[in-house]
Amino acid sequence: MRDLIKMVVVLTVICACSALVLSFANQATREQREYQVLKYVKEPSIKAVLTGYDNDPIKDRVTLKMGTDKKGKPIRKNIFPAKKGGKVIALAYGSAATGYHGLIEVMVGIDINGKITGVSIMTHTETPGLGARVVEPAFTGQFKGLVLSDALKVKKDGGKIDSVSGATFSSRGVVTAVRQALESFSKIKKEVIS
Amino acid sequence: MSVAREFTKGLWDEIPPFRLVLGLCPTLAVTTAAQNGMGMGLATTFVLLGSNVLISLLRNVIPKKVRIAAYIVVIASFVVIVELSMQAYFYPLYKVLGIFIPLIVVNCIILGRAEAFASKNKLLPSIADGLGIGLGFTLSLTFLGAVRELIGAGTLFGRYVMWESFQPLSIMVKAPGAFVCLGLILCLMNWIGAMQKRRQG
Repeated sequence: MRDLIKMVVVLTVICACSALVLSFANQATREQREYQVLKYVKEPSIKAVLTGYDNDPIKDRVTLKMGTDKKGKPIRKNIFPAKKGGKVIALAYGSAATGYHGLIEVMVGIDINGKITGVSIMTHTETPGLGARVVEPAFTGQFKGLVLSDALKVKKDGGKIDSVSGATFSSRGVVTAVRQALESFSKIKKEVIS
Repeated sequence: MSVAREFTKGLWDEIPPFRLVLGLCPTLAVTTAAQNGMGMGLATTFVLLGSNVLISLLRNVIPKKVRIAAYIVVIASFVVIVELSMQAYFYPLYKVLGIFIPLIVVNCIILGRAEAFASKNKLLPSIADGLGIGLGFTLSLTFLGAVRELIGAGTLFGRYVMWESFQPLSIMVKAPGAFVCLGLILCLMNWIGAMQKRRQG
């Protein structure tokens, strides 16, 4: 009987100590781990859409609560500000819309006046060789310098963006995602700068 | 045996993958490059050292019947610490090693040292044992990784070192190359061992 109690007590104490140490380790590394994931997953696209900044947009990121999802939980959105001499010159953030096949996630860089500084496709599941060609600079480069206006549409819809041939839906998806990003820009800008 | 002897035995006489032929899963899987082998080896060394220290200190407290469960909890805790810190500070290495970091828990070298050594010895010899075996494991993995990287890609620690017209034998960085390479090293080790024995008579 005494053996049994000793076994239970020793094992319980060891497990409890382990849990304590691990929760501490988890807490201590959380911020750094989040930073690393963003750095390796998002940094290439952030670098592609922002220019002329002298800060670390990932370190200076701002997390905003934007509306709620289907379960009523707030959606968190990371905003990456580009600063020069301590002043915000542009913002970069992700946006997503449906293409021909599934979601297309894009990173959009927008300067302080609402002009696009760059667009980069982060993830997509479009058809290889057709819709997948929206990632090419020949397509994404067209967005540079545009503002939220009728020009920001594919040519078929009366805008100025040349869609990738044979992939109107994919091109439209990207345009929609970029438009959504611009539509929420003034609200985001207010929150980030204040 | 002296403490120094406990340390040096892990470097040749009981060098884990080549002499004891233990811990082969990471040995074969992650040694596609010298750097990966070294990262895996160092992570394992940290876990081995930590578990040896704790188990040696707790050896009179842990009841015999639940010792394996207790060892596994201790080992798993150290593995999670390694995994979290690797993710936080060495993200590219963490990506490369992937599932093989959590799998350190079931690396039989670590449980083997806990059961066969740390649970029966004082703190100092246990530290020496953990460091020695860990270092032996790290050196083995780095060596195997270096050989495979050199023949398979012509690089060493990511730097190109072979002559210009060298044709890399890409099978060496794929799974079959691991088996071929390990087999040749084991053969060489046994041959050296046999030679030594013959010289001693």
